[in-house]
Amino acid sequence: MAEASTGVSGGRLRFILSEMKPRGRWLTPFNVISIPVIIVGLVILWFRFTQGLGSVTNLSQAFPWGFWIGFDVVTGVAFAGGAYVITFVVYVMKEEKYRPIVRVTVLNGFLAYLFYAGALVLDLGRPWHIVNPIIGNSFGYNSVLFLVAWHFLLYMIAEAIEFSPAVAEWLGARKARRLLHAMTLAAVIFGITLSMLHQSGLGALFLLAKAKIHPLWYTEFIPILFFVSSIFAGLSMIIFEGTISEKVLKEYLGDKAGGHDNLVFGLAKGAAIAMFVYYFFKLLVFLHEGHWSELDTPWGWWFLVEVLGLVLLPCILYAFGARHRSLGIIKVAAVLTLIGIVVNRLNISVIAFNWQAPVHYIPSWQEIVVTLMIIFLEIWVFRWVVTRMPVYPGTNNRPAPAIDSD
Amino acid sequence: METYTYVNIFETKGLEYLLLICFLVLFIFFVRYLNAADKPS
Repeated sequence: MAEASTGVSGGRLRFILSEMKPRGRWLTPFNVISIPVIIVGLVILWFRFTQGLGSVTNLSQAFPWGFWIGFDVVTGVAFAGGAYVITFVVYVMKEEKYRPIVRVTVLNGFLAYLFYAGALVLDLGRPWHIVNPIIGNSFGYNSVLFLVAWHFLLYMIAEAIEFSPAVAEWLGARKARRLLHAMTLAAVIFGITLSMLHQSGLGALFLLAKAKIHPLWYTEFIPILFFVSSIFAGLSMIIFEGTISEKVLKEYLGDKAGGHDNLVFGLAKGAAIAMFVYYFFKLLVFLHEGHWSELDTPWGWWFLVEVLGLVLLPCILYAFGARHRSLGIIKVAAVLTLIGIVVNRLNISVIAFNWQAPVHYIPSWQEIVVTLMIIFLEIWVFRWVVTRMPVYPGTNNRPAPAIDSD
Repeated sequence: METYTYVNIFETKGLEYLLLICFLVLFIFFVRYLNAADKPS
């Protein structure tokens, strides 16, 4: 019995090791660009952890939060919003037509949290203190960060459970798959609840900074705006990521890749409705705050670019594209929306933050290279997983060999 | 002492109410516009 068990474990280990080997061509444009960036990024991180934040970033006492928080964490988490939206639509609303994209969306969300929220460690002056809210060494439950820290941790666990049946299938572990599959619905409901709270919680982090954020962006409704924007940010990311995957991973996805087009129209419709609501929220907040005089200033023009050019315009494009079944228009709308989310989150956390300060924060080249490194690393892991595990239905991935004796 | 007038649309937050009414009406048309794509023409 013990020998059989050892044999199964040994077979599984051999299978995992064989899966580690690279597949496909090495000299691809993506590899040629990403490998040097990752190597330089790792060198920068070595300096960051040995010589401190000041050695590689332009952060200061006046600007303690920079590009790593503003882009990696605050923006990256919004882009991961597609996971809770799609799992809600499939598992709760029973819209089965979106089931084929559940796994890839959850994987995307999980990796986004792992890498982007994980990038939070880089920005902490004393990164080893990140465990404090979890282990109870100064819980700090009066802080929004306490909520965000716990939610990030619990949500990553929930998403890992949601994705785990795919890992079990890949390993040929049928009993484990049955058990993990049974846990999925509970994990989904838990995950949706957590997501709604921490997407808005991220916005609530900025409620403390009323005096520092430009009045056109500061409002007590930031948490609601963050939550609503995470819905269409996530949906746009699914459309964008699906478009790229369809082209880049064609040899792995096979004929099944074409089915993505029909789902895109439904996703575009959802994004259009969420953006329509968000746009009116923004208008309502603007009228409520009444900062009319701010509109005819450079900050006001920048605000109008964000609201009209990167919210209203993509909303109209999404609606038009969904109505007239135009994939091209929807893809343009998705890109504009993603740019809009980046601009909005950076406005609140970096650009319009400390807007009255005489000297402004501009991220160093090292901060930008490390951010690119994180994005590239996530894409590397994503590519490794989707080319090996059954992420897309009916893909050409080979299953684990005869090691399913459990 | 400041005078308060019931016809000032800013003080009464009338603009916000008007915006909400516009939103509700436009939202109906917006959803109808989007759903028209599902129906066979």
